[in-house]
Amino acid sequence: MTKTFLSPPIARILGIAGAVLAIVAAMLPWTTFVLNKGAWPDKATLQFFDAPFALTGFRWELFLVGIVALVCSVVKVPAQRRVLRGLGFGVAAIGLVNFLFITAEGGGLGAVTAADGASAFGSVAALVAGGLLILGTFGQPLEEIPRWKTNLPTPVEYLGLLVSFAVLLYVVSLTLTAGGQGGAANPYSGPMFLSFLGFGGGLMAAAAGLGILRWISKLSEKHRAFSIIVLLLCAFLLPFTNAGTEYWMTVAANIGVYAATAIGLNIVVGLAGLLDLGYVAFLGIGAFVAANLSGAAASSLGIHLPFYLVVIISAAIAGIFGAVVGSPTLRVRGDYLAIVTLAFGEIFQIAARNNIGGLTGGSNSIPNIPPLQWFDGTAYNESITLFGTPLPSGVLYYFLIVVLIAAVMAVFANLKNSRMGRAWIAIREDEDAARAMGIKTGKAKILAFLCGAVLAGIAGAVFAHKTSTVGYESFLFMESVTLLAAVILGGMGSIPGAVLGASLLFVLPEKLRAFSDYRLLIFGLALILIMRFRPQGLIPDRHRRAELAGEDAEGHTLAETPGDEPEQPRPQEVPAR
Amino acid sequence: MTAPILRAQDVTMIFGGLTALSEVSLTLDRGQIVGLIGPNGAGKTTFFNCLTGLYTPSKGQVLLNGRQLPSDPAQVTIAGIARTFQNIRLFPNMTAVENVMVGRHARMKQGPIATIFRGPRFRKGENEARDRAKELLAFAGIGRAGDELARNLPYGDQRRLEIARALATDPQVLLLDEPTAGMNPQETEATRQLIFKIRDLGVSVVVIEHDTKFIFGLCDHVSVLVQGKLLVEGPPEVVRNDPHVIEAYLGKPPEEVQAEVQHAAELLGGHDKGVNQ
Ligand SMILES: Nc1ncnc2c1ncn2[C@@H]1O[C@H](COP(=O)(O)OP(=O)(O)OP(=O)(O)O)[C@@H](O)[C@H]1O
Ligand SMILES: [Mg+2]
Repeated sequence: MTKTFLSPPIARILGIAGAVLAIVAAMLPWTTFVLNKGAWPDKATLQFFDAPFALTGFRWELFLVGIVALVCSVVKVPAQRRVLRGLGFGVAAIGLVNFLFITAEGGGLGAVTAADGASAFGSVAALVAGGLLILGTFGQPLEEIPRWKTNLPTPVEYLGLLVSFAVLLYVVSLTLTAGGQGGAANPYSGPMFLSFLGFGGGLMAAAAGLGILRWISKLSEKHRAFSIIVLLLCAFLLPFTNAGTEYWMTVAANIGVYAATAIGLNIVVGLAGLLDLGYVAFLGIGAFVAANLSGAAASSLGIHLPFYLVVIISAAIAGIFGAVVGSPTLRVRGDYLAIVTLAFGEIFQIAARNNIGGLTGGSNSIPNIPPLQWFDGTAYNESITLFGTPLPSGVLYYFLIVVLIAAVMAVFANLKNSRMGRAWIAIREDEDAARAMGIKTGKAKILAFLCGAVLAGIAGAVFAHKTSTVGYESFLFMESVTLLAAVILGGMGSIPGAVLGASLLFVLPEKLRAFSDYRLLIFGLALILIMRFRPQGLIPDRHRRAELAGEDAEGHTLAETPGDEPEQPRPQEVPAR
Repeated sequence: MTAPILRAQDVTMIFGGLTALSEVSLTLDRGQIVGLIGPNGAGKTTFFNCLTGLYTPSKGQVLLNGRQLPSDPAQVTIAGIARTFQNIRLFPNMTAVENVMVGRHARMKQGPIATIFRGPRFRKGENEARDRAKELLAFAGIGRAGDELARNLPYGDQRRLEIARALATDPQVLLLDEPTAGMNPQETEATRQLIFKIRDLGVSVVVIEHDTKFIFGLCDHVSVLVQGKLLVEGPPEVVRNDPHVIEAYLGKPPEEVQAEVQHAAELLGGHDKGVNQ
C-alpha cells in the first residue's frame, strides 16, 4: 500500500523542509486585504500584520504543529513517519480551510496570494508544508504502531488515565469554544473552528501513530470502574472550564439528549442489526407525553405530575409504541422493515403536526413547560453558584443530562453483556443460526425495539423540560437520519462511539453556522470522508477490533492517519441452503 | 433397547415441482451414531432442515421421545435437537466463548430487571454460562481460542466451535452436517474422536458426510440417500457391501473409492480450506 518511490534521505529532507515551512507560514500574512466581513482573525491580514511573532489563534496552532513536526523529523522518535504524516495532514488541513475560505470570501486567488503589489502567501505555504510533510513519509513503509506497556504499577496507570482524561476535558472545552460562537460579531467562527479541528486532528493522529491512544484505551478497559468515575467527574467539571457559558451549556445539553437517544437507537441498529428510520418519533412521544403531564398551560390535559412519574410514564408509552412498531419485524426483514419504520416516523410527525387529539399543539407546539425544580426550589434554568464558582443558567439541566447519559450507558452496557444482548448480536450476525440456538428471534427483536424506545422516551421527557417547548419540528425525518448517522459514525454497538457520533453530528452544524448555505454540504462531505476512511466507525465496538488475541494489528482508536486502513473483508458469506 | 429417541416417519419435502425428499424414515436410538450419506443434491441437508423445523415437511412427521416436534427451529432446539451447518454459520464478530454462550441462551434465565441491575444472582448465572462455554471449548479441543473472534479462527477450529456451540444447548440429539468438510486427515481423525466423546456424554448423533471411510469407521448405523429416496440402511458392514450402494452411489467398488479418498486427503494435507463447500 505504501509507495516507496522516494529515497529515504530525500524524503527526510522534504519532511524537514515541510516542518520549517509550516513554521514560516505561521509568521506570514494570510490575506492581502481586509475582507468584506472584516479583517481575518489573529492579525493575519497584511494591513494589520505588524507583528509576525505575536502569534494567536490558528497561527499559533500552526506554529505549534510546525515546531512539533520539526522536532519529530530531526530527533528519532518511535513511529516517526506515522507521527509526521498525522501532523502533515493537520498542517494541510489548516492551510486548506483558510485558503478556501479566504478565496471564496475575498472573491478570488488574489486574496491569498498577491494583489496590487502586496503578497500574503500564508495559507499557500501551509498547504505546501503539509504536502511536503506527508510526502516525506513515503520514503519508507510506515512503521508498526508501537505498543506501550500496560502492566505498570497500578498508581502509575491511574495517573496516566487521570492525565489523559484531564487532557480530554481540556480538549472538549477547547473544541466547544474554538472559533467562538459565531454571529454578526464573529463572522469567521466557522473557518476558525475548522482550523482548530485540523490542528486537533493532526495532533490526535500523531498521538494515535505513537500508540498513545491505543495505550489509553487499553488502560481504560483494564481499569473500567476507575475510568468511568473519572470520566463522569470530567463531565461534571466541564461547566467550570471556558465552556461554562450559558450558550455552551445549552449546546452540550442538547448534544446530551441526542447522545442518550442515539444509545437507545444503538440497541436496535447496533446490537440487533435492525434498521430504524423513524426512531426520533420515540423521542417525540416521550417529549409530548412529558409536555402534557407537566402542567404546561397549553396542554389540554392540565395535569401536573412529579418529574419521576412523568419520566416513567413517558418511557412506558414510548415503549408500548416501540413494541407496536417492532411487531412487523416478525414478518418483514431488511429493507422492508426500514420502510415500515420510516412510515411510522412520518405518521408520527404528521399526526403531531395536525395536533391529533389536541395533545401536540400542532404548529403552535406546546410552549411554557415549567422548568424542573431542585429540592430547594431552584429552577433548573437558573444560574447557580457551586464551590464559590458562579455557573451559568442551564447548568443544572446539563448535570441532569450527564446523569441521564451515564444511566443510559449503564443500561446499554448491561443489556449488551447479557443473555439478551448476545441474542441480539447473534440475530444481527446470522438470524437463522440464532434461531437454531434456541433464540426466539421475533420476541427478541420486539424487545430490542421496546428497550430502544424506552430509552428514547426517557430522553424525550428530559428534552421537554429542557427546551420548555415541544413541537413537531424537532422530530422530523432529518433528525432520525442524523441519529442513525451518529450511531454508524461512532461505531455500531459501541457506547462511547454513539456519544462521540452524536457530539460530532450536533456540534458540527452548530459550529458551521458561518457557512450558512454550504453547511450541510460540508457536513455531508465530512461524513463521506469519515466513512470512507473508517468504515467501522470512529470508536469501533470491542468486538470489531480483532486485537484481543494480539495477532492482528487492527487496534485503532480515534483519528488514526487515514488511508492505512483496509476495509475488513467478511469471509464465509453464507449462501442459501 | 428402549424406545428410539428420534423417529422421522415418511418425511417428504417438495419445493415447487421438485421432490427433494420422498418418504424418508430414520430411527435414532439413544447413544447411537447414525450416518447419512449420499451424492450431492441427494437431500441430506434438506432432511436435517426438516428435522430441525427450518422447513416444514410437506408430509410425514418427526417425533422426539415420542412427541411431535414443533415446526420452529428455536422450539426444536429447546426440545433437545441441536445442529451444525454445512456452510459454517457462526456469529463471526463474536468471540468463540460468546458464540458458545449464545448456545446457552435457552438454558439461562435472566429477567430484564436483573439484567439491568446485575445483581449477584445475575452475575452467578453469567459466570456459570461463561465457565460452561469455556469447558465446552476445551472439550471440543479449542480451549485456547476462547477470546478470538470466530471469523479469525482457522477453518477446522470454526467447525469445532460450531459443534461446541451446538452442545451448549444441552441437546439429546446432535445433527452434524459435514463436520469434516475441508479438514486434513489429522483434523478428521480428531473430529471422529470428538464425536465418540459426544456419544459417550449420552448424546445421540446423526452425521452427514461424503467421506465414506469416515462414516463407516464411526457409525453404528448408516442410511444412504439417493435422489431424495432412502436407498439402503443398516450397519456399516452391510451398507458397505450392498450392491445397490456400490452401483448407485459409489459407482465403483468401495475399496477403490476409499483409496481415492485417501489419496485426495493426502493431497490436501497441507492446506485445509474450501473443499466441498
Ligand atoms: N429451499 C429450497 N428450495 C428449493 N430447492 C431446494 C431448497 N433446498 C434444497 N433444495 C433442493 O433440494 C435438493 C437437495 O438438496 P440438499 O441441499 O438437501 O442436498 P445435499 O444432499 O445436502 O447435497 P450436498 O451433498 O451437496 O450438501 C437439491 O436439488 C436442492 O436444489
Ligand atoms: Mg448438504
